[in-house]
Amino acid sequence: MNDQVTVPSIALPNQVSFFDRRSDFRRLVFRGALLEFITAGFYRFWLATDIRRHLWSHTSIEGDAPEYTGTAKELFLGFLFAVAILSPIYLVYFLIGLEAERWKAFASTPLAIFYYVFFQFAIYRARRYRVTRTVWRGVRFWMGGSGLSYAWRVALWTLWAAITLGLALPWRQAALERFKMKYTFYGDLAGHFAATGGALFKRGWLLWLATAIMVFSLFGVISIQIDALTATWPFIQLLLLPFIYGAYKAIEWRWWVSGIRFGDVSFESGLRRGAMIGLYWKVIGWVILLTVMLMIWISAAVGIAYLLSDFKDVAPEKLLSVSQQVPVLLVIGVGYVAMVLLTWMVIRIYLIHDVWQRVAKSVTVHNVAAAYNVTTRGSPVGALGEGLAGSLDMGF
Amino acid sequence: MDGQAVYFDGQTNRKRSVVLRIADRIEIVEQDIVVAAWPFDDVRQADGPPTALLRLACTSALPLARLEVADEATKQTIVSHCPLLAAGRGGSQLARIVFWSLAAACSIFGLAAYGVPAVADRLVPFIPQAWENRVGEMVDRQIRFLIRGNACGAPDGQAAFATLVGKLKSAAGIDNAHEPLVLPSKIANAFALPGGKIYVLDGLLEKAQSPDELAGVLAHELGHVKHRDGMRKLIHDGGTSFLIGLLFGDVTGAGAVLFAGRSVLDASYSRDAERDADAFASQTMGKLGRSAAPLGELLLRIPGAQAKGISTILDSHPLTEERLDALKKGQSPVTGNALLSDGEWRALKRICRP
Repeated sequence: MNDQVTVPSIALPNQVSFFDRRSDFRRLVFRGALLEFITAGFYRFWLATDIRRHLWSHTSIEGDAPEYTGTAKELFLGFLFAVAILSPIYLVYFLIGLEAERWKAFASTPLAIFYYVFFQFAIYRARRYRVTRTVWRGVRFWMGGSGLSYAWRVALWTLWAAITLGLALPWRQAALERFKMKYTFYGDLAGHFAATGGALFKRGWLLWLATAIMVFSLFGVISIQIDALTATWPFIQLLLLPFIYGAYKAIEWRWWVSGIRFGDVSFESGLRRGAMIGLYWKVIGWVILLTVMLMIWISAAVGIAYLLSDFKDVAPEKLLSVSQQVPVLLVIGVGYVAMVLLTWMVIRIYLIHDVWQRVAKSVTVHNVAAAYNVTTRGSPVGALGEGLAGSLDMGF
Repeated sequence: MDGQAVYFDGQTNRKRSVVLRIADRIEIVEQDIVVAAWPFDDVRQADGPPTALLRLACTSALPLARLEVADEATKQTIVSHCPLLAAGRGGSQLARIVFWSLAAACSIFGLAAYGVPAVADRLVPFIPQAWENRVGEMVDRQIRFLIRGNACGAPDGQAAFATLVGKLKSAAGIDNAHEPLVLPSKIANAFALPGGKIYVLDGLLEKAQSPDELAGVLAHELGHVKHRDGMRKLIHDGGTSFLIGLLFGDVTGAGAVLFAGRSVLDASYSRDAERDADAFASQTMGKLGRSAAPLGELLLRIPGAQAKGISTILDSHPLTEERLDALKKGQSPVTGNALLSDGEWRALKRICRP
């Protein structure tokens, strides 16, 4: 690919490095978004595979880049199987929802819980797929464990975290990571997760307190008389949110990396608290810009159709009937889909590539020598989980 | 020629320094012992770092066995000897992906536009009335939730309303025991739910100037019940959102992307249903010796988009010139008696404000 570029082999022996080729990545996701648009979304399997290949191969652990061996065809097949499995579930879900609504209006809302749990199952299976497609030095990572038993754990822990108003969140994260890492292996080297919920709580409790004060004061503002000063408070809170969330994500990443073990190999991350905040602001800026552009696009479409139309109705009705014309709806639809795809592009650049890059560069590996003579074990699993997760949620 | 390389045998992750002997195949030599030999035709390029490193795999070796070559001359030799290096992780399949995706998209859109309505039409006659009534009850709950407050119950108004609806039902050939209700809402709308239950919102009653205008709207709504349009729409919407959901990977049909596509498809679908319901209204009113033209006059009097909760009857029944013309043409001479006496009509108008 880049034969001209010679890069000195990575300086620090145990420091994970990331070969920064952001412009390549940007080109990759822009081209991907364009192709997603042309192929009515089907290109997403190829794009997801290319993104992973890029990220895996640009990362380097002790001078050797991992290899992503998954293919788009596997993802596509996983998707087809997921559709076959989900179709009857979709129908049953629909009918149960109907019966629940008949009993009481909006009684079908709790069914969303079922979706949430099922989605967790899919996420676990999707992780298994990705892990078994990751190869380093000719030996693959692999993963066992039951997606179902993971899903109900998530459900109970989430419930507990909700009851405790988020205080139990660090212990929830720790328990779930312990479960996942217990079943994750590199060849015959067993993984485990050593970080504790208490450690995460110690680093993050100030953020929890800040959030709690914000929510509390928001209710306070709503219930008391609103004057000019207090009315701006919710707006200020909105501005604070990306700072809080960004800081939390950085803390969580650092804690997570530092908890990972494979045999005697351990990892450590020096990620700064503020490392992510800028990324979230950039995404917010882009989304605002894209939304404004979509609004201009829609107004232009409706406006032009309004001027061209020869309806005899009075103005407001005319506007309504004009905006319901099929060509206008199509133009609006195209603008909307384009905006969604561009938003995904922004997310892929800032929240996937840049987050990956920042986390990867922050990682130090201790005692790599313990992984010098690992024998291959485990086999690749199918991509059904990816298909299910992708069908339940469009995310990466 | 000979070249230096790093070899991973696919069994362990041991990094082995080897010499490559490239003659009629690639021989991997470690301390003068040939540990493996890769035929040129089986050698593939594997995903490697974006540096000058060339990472190789071999289809006839262990799946994860890898060779890493950094030395420029050796790389050149391998590239020139291995014709199928780039096969496998294809880059030239783009045209194929685009073609088949477009074919699939066309097929799905075609199915949504023509297949689903056809299926809905064929399926509806087989749906038991009991199921339809259940759906009606479900919608009933939601309406009562969205429009809070009890139904208006002035006794003489309710009696007049029951008389009017009774006449319409028997003319329309719809037989059920549901009591029609007027709900206290400023919104101008009326519904006939699957199963035949009728709701009129006070806002519509306020706008109506004669019993025939209201009767026209109700006859139109009963037309939807008679044709089971509610069920048809349910199957239709469910099917379309599912199919379009397939495209964007969201099988639940919850994605906002769907709404754009769905409303496009629905707009043309409901227009036919409206025309049929209008014709049914004309017929029913004709049987009672009245005209359905006042229906159009009432709809003309309702202002467009009204916010909050439920939209006006105009939003779901867009009034087109074509519809107005058809209603006027279908107008039969008024031969029968008024559907309600003046006293009854006044009582009905005041049902929410006794």
